[in-house]
Amino acid sequence: MTRTRAFVIAFTTGLAAAPALWAAGAADHIQTTDPSVRVVPTGQDQTAAYLTLRNNDKQDHSVVKAASPAARVTELHTVVDEGGMKKMRPVPKMDIKAGSETKLQPGGLHIMLIGLKQPLREGTHVTITLTFEDGSSRNISAPVRAITAPSAMKPGH
Amino acid sequence: MKKKYIFLFVLLAVVGLVAGALLAPRLMSHTDSTLPPGGDFTLDSADGPVSLVSLRGKVVLIYFGYASCPDVCPTSLALIATALHALTPAERERVRVLFVSVDPARDTPARLKPYAAHFHPDIIGVTAQASVLGEMARRYGAAFSYTPVSSATGYVVDHTSSTAVVAPNGRLVELLPHATAPPEIVAAIRHVLR
Repeated sequence: MTRTRAFVIAFTTGLAAAPALWAAGAADHIQTTDPSVRVVPTGQDQTAAYLTLRNNDKQDHSVVKAASPAARVTELHTVVDEGGMKKMRPVPKMDIKAGSETKLQPGGLHIMLIGLKQPLREGTHVTITLTFEDGSSRNISAPVRAITAPSAMKPGH
Repeated sequence: MKKKYIFLFVLLAVVGLVAGALLAPRLMSHTDSTLPPGGDFTLDSADGPVSLVSLRGKVVLIYFGYASCPDVCPTSLALIATALHALTPAERERVRVLFVSVDPARDTPARLKPYAAHFHPDIIGVTAQASVLGEMARRYGAAFSYTPVSSATGYVVDHTSSTAVVAPNGRLVELLPHATAPPEIVAAIRHVLR
């Protein structure tokens, strides 16, 4: 091909690729801290994972999916308190409003790992991939811990 | 004559009012009147039937939940376990905790044994037929229901999350709300141990 044509193709490709390369996905604006997975007694094959999500962007974002090689199925759940009854329900997404924080913690939002492929040992780590509304994703490494209550989850306690 | 009767009537009325005011606190014991009746029950454990009557002389804590519960139940049992660890060995000897699974379809007595023991050796996992559980739960201020959900977990068990405290004489004396902190659980135990 002629040099001009090659140049035009290169330039157009660069132009087309620029948005993907330069525009930040939702994942780039979300800070994830304090991840943990609750250790469960042997014989049980479901558990909950928690973390704090902080959105540093000017627009709202959401986690729409979670996945983990540690479990057959990973889902987003919450616990609703209705008439004194604790009700666990799957949720389609977890919103993190612009400039604010969403905390997954006991008694509320959590990631549910269903069908654990092997018993979880305290001190080991579970990889969880969070996918956001625009398809971007973030991998987190969550330590397996014996979790008591929200206040007991912060490091140093 | 009329004046004498009026005077007597007023005097009796005053005496009545004073007596009523003195007796009222005893007659209107709010704790007792808001508590459900409690009472005996027999549930199944991996080591045989467990009846409340057989635990007479001990403080018994009763928590209703299910083993597949990933969040609420482990939180509550961990708090209770922390409280048990804070007791002296002599106190602990006089306390038993029953984790009553209201999900007998998935939680057999055999599966409940290691589950309960994971939290503390003095927690015993027990269960029974749903109809037996329903009747007992009502007497202990608890409720549960099975809800199908579009989730790989199939169905969830909605349930209350209070901890019943039964005194050594077998009487239900307190219902601790969900997530009561360990120091308060310890205080409730020590209050009835004396």
